[in-house]
Amino acid sequence: MDKQAFLFGYGRQGRSLAKSLRTDHFRLHIIESTPEYYEKAKSDKFLDVILVDVTSDAELEALHIDDDSYIVCVMEDEHLNVFLTLSLRALYPNATIVAISDSLYTTQKLKMAGANKIIDIYKVSAYRIHNMLVRPVATKLLDSFISDDSKISFREMLIPKGSFLHGMMVEEVNFSEYGILLVGMLDIELSNKFIFITSGIDHKLDSGDTIVCMGYNEDLDRFRELITQKETPA
Amino acid sequence: MSKIIIKLAFWLNGSPAYQKTKGFIKDLFYDPDNPYKKYIDSTMIFLILTSVTILVYEVRNPVPAWMDFYDIYIVSMLFLFEYLLRLWVHSDFHKYVMEEHEQSKFLHKPFSLRVPVKKIVKSKLEFIVSPSAIIDLLAILPAYRPLRILRIFVLFRVFKLLRYTKSINQFVEVLANKRFELLTLLFLLLFIVVTAGIAIYVFEETKNPHITTLFDAFYWALVTISTVGYGDISPVTTEGKAVSMVIIVSGIAMISFVTSVIVSAFSEKLDELKENRIIEDLNKNDKFIIICGYGQLAKMFLRQEEELKDAYVIIDKDSERVRQAIKDGYQAIHDDASRHDVISKFDLKYANITVLCLTNSDIENIYISLNVKSLSRDIHVIARATDESMHQKFKLAGVDHILTPSNVANVMLRTAIHQPILYNGMQAILTGKNIANIDEVMVFQHAKLIGKKINEIDFTQYKILFMGIQRGIDGEFIFNPNRELEFEHDDILLMMGVRISIEHFKKNYKGTDHG
Repeated sequence: MDKQAFLFGYGRQGRSLAKSLRTDHFRLHIIESTPEYYEKAKSDKFLDVILVDVTSDAELEALHIDDDSYIVCVMEDEHLNVFLTLSLRALYPNATIVAISDSLYTTQKLKMAGANKIIDIYKVSAYRIHNMLVRPVATKLLDSFISDDSKISFREMLIPKGSFLHGMMVEEVNFSEYGILLVGMLDIELSNKFIFITSGIDHKLDSGDTIVCMGYNEDLDRFRELITQKETPA
Repeated sequence: MSKIIIKLAFWLNGSPAYQKTKGFIKDLFYDPDNPYKKYIDSTMIFLILTSVTILVYEVRNPVPAWMDFYDIYIVSMLFLFEYLLRLWVHSDFHKYVMEEHEQSKFLHKPFSLRVPVKKIVKSKLEFIVSPSAIIDLLAILPAYRPLRILRIFVLFRVFKLLRYTKSINQFVEVLANKRFELLTLLFLLLFIVVTAGIAIYVFEETKNPHITTLFDAFYWALVTISTVGYGDISPVTTEGKAVSMVIIVSGIAMISFVTSVIVSAFSEKLDELKENRIIEDLNKNDKFIIICGYGQLAKMFLRQEEELKDAYVIIDKDSERVRQAIKDGYQAIHDDASRHDVISKFDLKYANITVLCLTNSDIENIYISLNVKSLSRDIHVIARATDESMHQKFKLAGVDHILTPSNVANVMLRTAIHQPILYNGMQAILTGKNIANIDEVMVFQHAKLIGKKINEIDFTQYKILFMGIQRGIDGEFIFNPNRELEFEHDDILLMMGVRISIEHFKKNYKGTDHG
């Protein structure tokens, strides 16, 4: 079944997000509280647009958001956005809430309001300017990660049951042989935190762990197929 | 005769050596951003101060012959030389000749030297009668020793300092702005002095032994009105005393008036003077950043500034935001970066400038970019666009890098939904967290790497993830290259690791290449 995404807010940011989410496999619901933006969403040919008073808990509850849905809060009004995040967290304690923040102070407030992931758009952009000024090569690579049509990208992969990777130490696997680089992993045995390879701890790979790799898209696709095999490929 | 002159004019116009020399000297004298100008200026100031000291000392004491020689031949000759150079670069005779030649050819009339000569004389005269040129000329005169009266022109050497010191110039400029008010007051002062002087002369000429001429009367009036009151002349009659009372009161009023005019002139100009000072200081750097717009993005950028040691200035149209920036402890100027004259204040010729257009509006950012690029193609421009659809326009405007914060947010959001584990890693990388710091290593600065194969270097030992190589400054980026590849002089290595790991790596391979 397709995952559901609830996009609260169809302002400047919301619009651009909705367009980029349209290409993915989602059931996208757009929720707005201002009639003006609501009309805009309709005229942009989004089918599932709902006009809701987001300050009313009763109306939010009526949306019946499932636990495995994604909630994205990008209301134009910053105060309303924080308030909405708080209301949604109270109503749907298990759903994943992603919010977009435009300043350090808002980030903190959104975190307190219970958002799971907060994307600080200016922090990333500000760091990019730094890179442009001092590290031009790194900029090129980083830029390719955030553009849609790049050849090199990141990919997370779950190590399946019975994979040849199971039981191997990270150092034993020569990832670069497959044209990819291991960036980090999520070791469920240790903790649920993402561990970068650069932290220097030698991990044992188990099935059920998630590894994050970087490489050309074709190589990543090939590697994803490979790790389902039992034997170490020659 | 005229044929030879025309030929000469064309030859001069075509001679790169002549043009270059003249351009260089002109630049040296008149372009405040010229890096050599400060040496010329300080030499001139030194010459002036020493020569004035010698001339003043000479009034009562005999001076050694070498000092006289220094004053007459070195200082004065240099002054004369400078004067002649300035006269020379002020206008071009050959241009007038060529212009006349072209016109005569066009109109089929005989070429006459009269017109260009007239023009050049007029233009050179313009220079000669300009105040600064007169001062320069008079400053040379004290060199002629037989005429003692010429010594007084040593004062003009002091005036000459004006040309080489900026702060005095600014003082004069500020006062010049209040010319109207000051002139009005001067006329009022003259009027009172003249009437009071005439009155006292009429009342006391016969009764007061100190007032014998009209000049005495004016002198007394001025001394009284200025509230100096030497007391060498004082009124003796009741009428005379009454006149003094009136002018004393009007004198106090006038002095406070003058003071307030000057103070207000300065307070009006204070911000501008401060801002000019910021720009001047900035221009002393050979590399700096101009940040247009003090919004969230600019704030965030400056917060990360610790790593970046470059000089910078913020320009914003909104005075409220400028005040905020200054309060936050940043250097800011209240001005409109889309205006030609604002950007041209910066040292466009000699400095390496980066302009960041970070305002909220695309229109504004494009306009600023165009303005900057129209002034100099070499300025590096990084602009913020609200939407991907704007990129084409920004590219046309010549922007070197385009930032789209909302675009970043879209990618991050999609990652957060599709690949939640990767999201954490990606955020760390994209915000430059220490654990996921991506850095570049220039091989030519770390010469021990040259000729080594990739697999000869144990990156794992350094806890570094080696990502790829760029061959040469504008070369191609090779991601995850073959391990047999050898490092070359112009390579730039890209790697990820904790800052101290990379520092450690750099230290171990440090060395300059002499090959």
